[in-house]
Amino acid sequence: MSNTPSSDTRSSDSLITTDVETGSNDRTAESRATAVATRDLNVYYGDEQAIDDVSMDIPENRVTALIGPSGCGKSTFLRCINRMNDMIEVCRVEGEVEFGGKNVYDADVDPVALRRRIGMVFQKPNPFPKSIRDNVAYGLKIQGFDGDVDERVEESLKGAALWDEVKDQLDSSGLDLSGGQQQRLCIARAIAPDPEVILMDEPTSALDPVAASKIEDLIDDLAEEYTVIIVTHNMQQAARISDRTAVFLTGGRLVEYDDTAKIFEDPEEQRVEDYITGKFG
Amino acid sequence: MATDTDTARIEGFGEVSRVRGIVFEYLSLGASVLGIFALAVLLIYVTIDAFDLAGTSPVWLLTYFVTLVVPFLAFCLYSARDREVTRRAVTVSGGGLVAVAAVFTAIETFVGQIPRLNWQLAYLFVVVAPLTGYLVYVGARGRPGAVGFGLVGRLIGGTAIGLAFSVLFLVFDERLWFLAYTIGIVPAALVYGYGRVRDVSVASAAAIPIAVLGVLVAVLLRPVVDVYPTTVFIYLWTLAIPIAAAGALLVNGRGNRTAALVAGGVPLALAVVIGLFGRAAGLGVGGPNALLVISVAGVPTAVYLHRVFDVGEGVTGLGVPVLLVGGALVGAFVVETFGIPTPNPWVSETFLTEAPSRNARDAGLYPAIVGSVIIIAMVAVFSFVLGVATSVFLEEYTADSGVIGALTRLLQINIANLAAVPSVVYGLLGLGLFANLLGFGFGTAVTVSLTLSLLILPITIISAQEAIRSVPDDLRRGSDAMGATRWQTTKNVVLPEAFPGILTGTILALGRAIGETAPLIMVGAATTVFSAPSSLFSKFSAMPMQIYAWANFPQEEFRYGVVAAGVITLLIILIGMNGTAILLRNRAERGT
Ligand SMILES: Nc1ncnc2c1ncn2[C@@H]1O[C@H](COP(=O)(O)OP(=O)(O)OP(=O)(O)O)[C@@H](O)[C@H]1O
Ligand SMILES: [Mg+2]
Repeated sequence: MSNTPSSDTRSSDSLITTDVETGSNDRTAESRATAVATRDLNVYYGDEQAIDDVSMDIPENRVTALIGPSGCGKSTFLRCINRMNDMIEVCRVEGEVEFGGKNVYDADVDPVALRRRIGMVFQKPNPFPKSIRDNVAYGLKIQGFDGDVDERVEESLKGAALWDEVKDQLDSSGLDLSGGQQQRLCIARAIAPDPEVILMDEPTSALDPVAASKIEDLIDDLAEEYTVIIVTHNMQQAARISDRTAVFLTGGRLVEYDDTAKIFEDPEEQRVEDYITGKFG
Repeated sequence: MATDTDTARIEGFGEVSRVRGIVFEYLSLGASVLGIFALAVLLIYVTIDAFDLAGTSPVWLLTYFVTLVVPFLAFCLYSARDREVTRRAVTVSGGGLVAVAAVFTAIETFVGQIPRLNWQLAYLFVVVAPLTGYLVYVGARGRPGAVGFGLVGRLIGGTAIGLAFSVLFLVFDERLWFLAYTIGIVPAALVYGYGRVRDVSVASAAAIPIAVLGVLVAVLLRPVVDVYPTTVFIYLWTLAIPIAAAGALLVNGRGNRTAALVAGGVPLALAVVIGLFGRAAGLGVGGPNALLVISVAGVPTAVYLHRVFDVGEGVTGLGVPVLLVGGALVGAFVVETFGIPTPNPWVSETFLTEAPSRNARDAGLYPAIVGSVIIIAMVAVFSFVLGVATSVFLEEYTADSGVIGALTRLLQINIANLAAVPSVVYGLLGLGLFANLLGFGFGTAVTVSLTLSLLILPITIISAQEAIRSVPDDLRRGSDAMGATRWQTTKNVVLPEAFPGILTGTILALGRAIGETAPLIMVGAATTVFSAPSSLFSKFSAMPMQIYAWANFPQEEFRYGVVAAGVITLLIILIGMNGTAILLRNRAERGT
């Protein structure tokens, strides 16, 4: 963390020092429809509770950042939304996650169909050991897409700001790209089937600042079309790119959830301020 | 050691003892070298016996050395274009000559006669053979060498595959294949192609059901329909034409329509002409099998030639087959004109194409070779399919906990234990289950290959599981998160990534299956059969069985000559098969 702990006298200023103004984009958080909402969400791994009674509304076409100390359940929360927690045998989910007017944990929801409407980008870039084209076209292929695949691949790569770098090597392996390029390839892969929500779990933590800033710019653009929910440990990043920020603290409790500007400039909770300024966490 | 610390502190870092590591290193090295040496000596003697080299005149060896070996080595050096390699090759061949002759003479004078070996032969095995191997390896890295060996590989490999096909048709009904191909596979391919070209995914998806349906209808029709074209025509229609078309498509994909027509058409035309008229024209070859072999070997060769000319590098390498065949012909000519005594090898045309006989010189391995090839093919299919299916089920589909998890673990332990069960027991199982209970008959191909498949199944399963487990979970999660079903993730991500590992396990296991005799004896396979099997339910023999039978013959000629020839044939087929599988695997590895 590059920011220094702020003293109480500065509390009316922004709590962290960034080059970019917080909430610099012209999107406002109000007056948006809700894309994803959770109601009394509790998640347990065996006997251990990882998410404690979380209810929140995540707005459509906005970037929502999830921050909090390690182990506070951010990834777990993210995985609840597309039911990737189903893959973990010890994991038990209680409460509701509403998406597309339905509780995704209802008995008649097919998790596979659900995931086709929600893209996910992981912390470590994980392109398939296939060509760049096949990587991007993967979602289209498994969903039996009927249109022009090549066109969609090009669009998605452009959307992920990777097209210019790889347009001459679409047939070479996705693994031959650099880490930052691989992560953008994964983003292209996630947006190719045109999902409604994109979940990102620390997408830039394995990347250098230049590659990270490219992806940040990209996320900003993605919010035009998609609802982005992003987990990050980087306060400046959360401040720069998100419209709404949710702060989780240990035990999986959602402590504060508000407009990003509010969270970073004038949080309600002392614990949140301490966390953001690096006094704890 | 404790007393050293003081001096160490004064004099710098001191030293850390590595004695144990060094002792271990040299012990292991010594043990491996000893093992390889023993095996090499055995193989040298088997080769000498099989090719009757003991009685060879040195002049004969010299002739072929000059006409065949020297030009070939020179080509390798030319391809490598490396001064250092050339210098090394000359030093080794020259120095080796002196050294081998000196050591050999010394041993003969001071220790005693070495049986069935003279210094020329020793030079051949100790110096020329390894040197050739080394130079082929180095030469293949130069452009002309790579091109030349690629060409030779396609010619030999294509011929081998073609021959294997024709062997399979000895027992599999080509008329059934004709019906299945015409009713099932052709329509499915057409529909699939249409779907791809017009971008209609329904059509592509319909291809597999159409194929399955067609094959079923073919099976039903086979007893009803009784007018069929001749075998030559069946091979032409179901194998030669599609292979030629595939080759032409490949070349066309690289851009040139005329070249595509030539690459597909010329081998096809050659195959048809020789297949139909070869015998009549007195060529000595002809008939359906010639058609099959020529098209299977010819089309890949033509496609390869096109690529070489297209790239335009290392075209001189295309002379390698000419060099080899020419060298052999010139050698034969010289031997003929000067009346140089030629060896009379046990591995001969008779041996490979005739049935066993009481008379050592007339004895052949043909029925056993056919038996082995068919058994290998069936075992490969059974064990690969069953092994992959089981391991995918165990790794991807079963839960880790609960009742299912406990059952899976139990199954797992059992599979591991089955891998350690002696093969005789599997023989017993095969006898009881396949021969008696299911009535597949004693010693038939079906019984034998099912038994052998069971025998290697645990090994195949365990190694396939290992390969599947080594696919990173990241990839699975990535695919799942895209909304792939378990099946789609397995098929599109896990299996392609695990494929090379799965193949490695299967290759090792197959190698074991081919060499087995005990379970074959148990299920009642014949040691000797006199005609090649004509159906899956006729009496079978396999190479190891036949060799074992010969080894018990009282005549010395059998015990040395014929057995050695059998061992060499078995080894060549085994190494060729493993080599092909390994090449395939490496290609799959590079493809990812
Ligand atoms: N597969 C799992 N099995 C058991 N417990 C788990 C599993 N995954 C997470 N947990 C537990 O759940 C809690 C929350 O984990 P989670 O990964 O959601 O935290 P996080 O906020 O993403 O942390 P980080 O910032 O380090 O990624 C932790 O206490 C962790 O030990
Ligand atoms: Mg996490």
